Amino acid sequence: MASPWWKVALSEEVTSAKPLAVDLGDQPVVLWRDAQGIARALEDRCPHRRAPLSRGCIRDNGWIQCGYHGWSYDGESGRLKDIPNMKDEQKFPPLYKAAAFAVSESGGFVSINLDQNTTMPTPAVAQDFDLCDTAHVALGQDQWINALFDDPGLVLNIRSVQFTPYLMSDLREENGMLVMERFCQWGKVHWPSYATAEFPITLITRTHPETGETEAVLRDDSFRTLLTAQLAPVAGARGITQVRWRAKVGDVLKGSHATGLRHKGSFTVRETIDAAALRVLIPSASHLANKLRQDIIAAAPAATPSVSAAA
Amino acid sequence: MLEVADRSASSDTEHSDSPISSAPPKRATGSSLNAVNNWVPHDLVMRDSWFPLAHDHAVGKTPVRRAVYSQPYYLWREDGKVVASEFHPLEIVTRDKSPYTDARGRYPVMEHYGLIWGWFGRPGAADPAHLPSLPFLPPKGGLPKHMTATIRFDCSAPISLENLIDLTHADFLHADVVGDEKSDSEQVEVFYDSETITMVRSLVNKSVAPIMKLFSGISQPTQNVRQVIRIYLRSHCAIAYGRFSPGDDVPLFHPCTPESRDRTRMEMVMNTSNAGLMFRHVMPKAGYKVSRQDSSMTNPQSPRYMDLTPRKDLHSRFDQAGQRYRLLMMDLAARQEAGDFEYRDNVSADCSDIIGLRKELFQY
Repeated sequence: MASPWWKVALSEEVTSAKPLAVDLGDQPVVLWRDAQGIARALEDRCPHRRAPLSRGCIRDNGWIQCGYHGWSYDGESGRLKDIPNMKDEQKFPPLYKAAAFAVSESGGFVSINLDQNTTMPTPAVAQDFDLCDTAHVALGQDQWINALFDDPGLVLNIRSVQFTPYLMSDLREENGMLVMERFCQWGKVHWPSYATAEFPITLITRTHPETGETEAVLRDDSFRTLLTAQLAPVAGARGITQVRWRAKVGDVLKGSHATGLRHKGSFTVRETIDAAALRVLIPSASHLANKLRQDIIAAAPAATPSVSAAA
Repeated sequence: MLEVADRSASSDTEHSDSPISSAPPKRATGSSLNAVNNWVPHDLVMRDSWFPLAHDHAVGKTPVRRAVYSQPYYLWREDGKVVASEFHPLEIVTRDKSPYTDARGRYPVMEHYGLIWGWFGRPGAADPAHLPSLPFLPPKGGLPKHMTATIRFDCSAPISLENLIDLTHADFLHADVVGDEKSDSEQVEVFYDSETITMVRSLVNKSVAPIMKLFSGISQPTQNVRQVIRIYLRSHCAIAYGRFSPGDDVPLFHPCTPESRDRTRMEMVMNTSNAGLMFRHVMPKAGYKVSRQDSSMTNPQSPRYMDLTPRKDLHSRFDQAGQRYRLLMMDLAARQEAGDFEYRDNVSADCSDIIGLRKELFQY
């Protein structure tokens, strides 16, 4: 199976001032911008003495320099370019290189592919959403996605929105994505959802079967888009999940609850999980997700699009 | 034709001694008496059927949203006449029309018994003759709103209906509303045809339902009870009719519309017109409490019925109706899977005699 693209950083986090350490599962990765402003990604491990390159610095010419002995690497190829104590001999055999990863940047996300020669299409995010942040959650990536499927309120917080256990449509395949639509309520003062006939809003989620990248759209009952969020949950070291996200509030908002979405902090990914609630959460959509996911991947191994491109 | 269940539907059921077998289960082709003990209700989809989607008072000019098996139904009125469409009038349509609607994307829809019914299946096969008989409801509606409610169950529709037809659970789960299990005698009879199943449970000297003690003023410690559950299999609609003596006649329309595969919507109507003033208003509200009690069990049950498992359910003689319900649903689903959507029995014929309705109380 082709190696997928992973959104491992927000564009704002990757600079030419300071290297950024991220990880993809157990793979440490260092990110920075070179002299041309292009985002680069290498294994966060100097091939010399295994020190993290992220503890070094970025040179004016865009190379990353290890903070231990000053060895410098080119970001595009990973080739060793400079050893400070060998001023006269700066030609190094091809073996002298750090593992480089393919990098792509779109819509305010920096994505990497562990296969530098990947033929997978690069992610294309249509818009650059103004709201953004990264949340680190002490929950595995698969369980984070399962929680999103079964009770989004455990992992997301949208101002004044209560997620109900009731669906307008079950999890299904649509254009290679896992798609579902959940009924939601405004505010805290209302009948319990099980005794409510009409719900004013829904949350539609479109999730990539392999990466779990999700586009979440909050919509009212007149088909107005109230909020759109791109969520990129990536497995990190020690079983934690790093969720990078960007969001945008809709252009036309009607009603006090909807206009309240313009307030700062109206959308966040929860840093902490209510473990007691999660433990007793009865599986529903997530139960069927695994099979659906496998069916989608098996049907189109090379053609599964980026969540953003599909949207 | 209505048959009487004269034997347990599960007489040849086998159970493994080992609770967990390593042998992979095989999905039953067609239904067998044995297969009902590891059925997969989440996989059952019933087509060519009327589903109750809304109370008539809930639908006006502004579209309301409903779903059957995740298929969207938008309901509104045009010149007072109800319309059911798979597209919202304000929707920028980016998806294809389904085979369940006509060229304009509209479903067959009808208004009867104070409810809006949407057809799910081949539009050309829609026929009012397939509407379930509910003789205790006025055909043109008009019951007061306090006798209606919308309540949701956190499980699949067949699990919710199996819960309903298994009345012995009520003595435990709903004892604080309908009374405990104590009685001098208890008899259960089951009748069925290809489209319906009816269970009649007769109890002599049962502990009086607490709600009747409180709101009907019954002072005796016991009462005779005749409870009927009748399920229209395709529509996932049920009648729950209790005759309490001393006490009231309480007929309840208990539909279980499969909005999604793991959640159920009930547009409930309880006709308490003939009961005393207090009971008339209070009893329909009991659904809010009883439904939560049911969901406390059926919600965790539901995912355990999403896959075929090697472990089969156990049962007692009181599960006869539930076993038969499973069998009939599997038979109907197998028939539909083979392309046979015909109604072999008439669901709209007056069922007053079958449910033992005291017609003098409900003359419409």
